[in-house]
Amino acid sequence: MKYTPKLIPEGINVTPQPPLIDFGYLIVTIVLISALIFFSLGWIAEWLAIKISAATESKIGQILISSTMPALSSSVLLADPRLDYLQENLLPTLAGETQPPLTVHLLDDDMINAAILPGGHILVWTGLLKAVQSENELAFVLAHEVAHFKHRDPLRMLGRSLVMLSLLTVLGTGVNQEMAGLPSLVSQTGELIGLQYSRQQEQAADEEALSNVIQHYGHGGQALDFFKRLAEQEPQRGRELTISRYFSTHPPTIERLAQLAQLAKVRGWTMTGAITPLPRW
Amino acid sequence: MGSFLEILIFLGLLALGYFAGHYFERKHYKSIRLRESQTLHIPLITVGAKPPWPNAKEAKLFIGGVVISTDYFKTISAGLRNLVGGRVMAYETLLDRGRREALLRMKEQAIEWGATQILNVRLETASIWGAEGKQSVGSVEVIAYGTGIKE
Ligand SMILES: [Zn+2]
Repeated sequence: MKYTPKLIPEGINVTPQPPLIDFGYLIVTIVLISALIFFSLGWIAEWLAIKISAATESKIGQILISSTMPALSSSVLLADPRLDYLQENLLPTLAGETQPPLTVHLLDDDMINAAILPGGHILVWTGLLKAVQSENELAFVLAHEVAHFKHRDPLRMLGRSLVMLSLLTVLGTGVNQEMAGLPSLVSQTGELIGLQYSRQQEQAADEEALSNVIQHYGHGGQALDFFKRLAEQEPQRGRELTISRYFSTHPPTIERLAQLAQLAKVRGWTMTGAITPLPRW
Repeated sequence: MGSFLEILIFLGLLALGYFAGHYFERKHYKSIRLRESQTLHIPLITVGAKPPWPNAKEAKLFIGGVVISTDYFKTISAGLRNLVGGRVMAYETLLDRGRREALLRMKEQAIEWGATQILNVRLETASIWGAEGKQSVGSVEVIAYGTGIKE
């Protein structure tokens, strides 16, 4: 047998395909599948979350607040006339008796924001108290958070974020350890799409808040002034960091104001009336 | 902010892996093709002891080994592939380069010694992980060995 030198042809052991095409195909497939799982599981999680009993919600809230508070402990105000006023005077008039009961946590920081956690824990930053000019304004912001609580929005969000977290853990451990950046890339996108209340949830909360405030004061005057002032500052949201915190968790103010004005017109609400001043503190 | 930096580092490593990996791979393939055509005249035979041996005056064992590292882009690509299954194309070139380079190193030593044939050629592969286990980038080792003879 005679040996004839011959080169082995290329493209047998190596697929002749550019690596970027393979990579792109993988990314697109995985993103699509994850999104599908995220939305369907998220929907199920929400559906389950709103079936949770008040007692369980209270327990979940306890766990959440005890894990969040240490990070904020330096700024939590425990004995403060403003806290008493919020907890004892303003909140009961807006929310009445609730299950689980609502608890205000006052945080000493210039951030202008308020938030609600599962279990009826309302976080109020002192920056908000300095920014509002009447009780009507403050009542609307609080009533908005109370409305989120009544619609069980924080529980829905918790359900969704648990799904997000599990998905990320699966992605993070299913893939190699060195892909640390990938899960956070996914979670950043996730924060943008999933971990905010939807426009519908915000609008429903706004509508209930306004109707609540009107029931309490007999009119909707001044209630929206805080937002009108915010709307004026909106174009410079990049520079005003303390102001822009509110926008990062809430939809554009001008849109919200327009929707509320429209609603007031339809329902025939009185949108002017006497101002209720804030107590001196 | 922390996670933003993490993403930036991730994307940076991905780009580095892609461009550097691509550059070195092209360079390596160029060298492999050149050397393959230069060493083509020596037959490599994989049959073992059963057939009659050629009339060998002298015989010697030759071993060619090479360790090639994956790059970040390939690792990520393969990691994503792990999730959905299928051909891990990212690692195909890595192993192809390993096998061909190991064979070349064996052949080149044998030619220098004066071999006319290399018999009983075998290939072996092992994966090498860094000291921290799966935390570090993996490499692949390919060894080719065979018996060179002078007729
Ligand atoms: Zn809201």
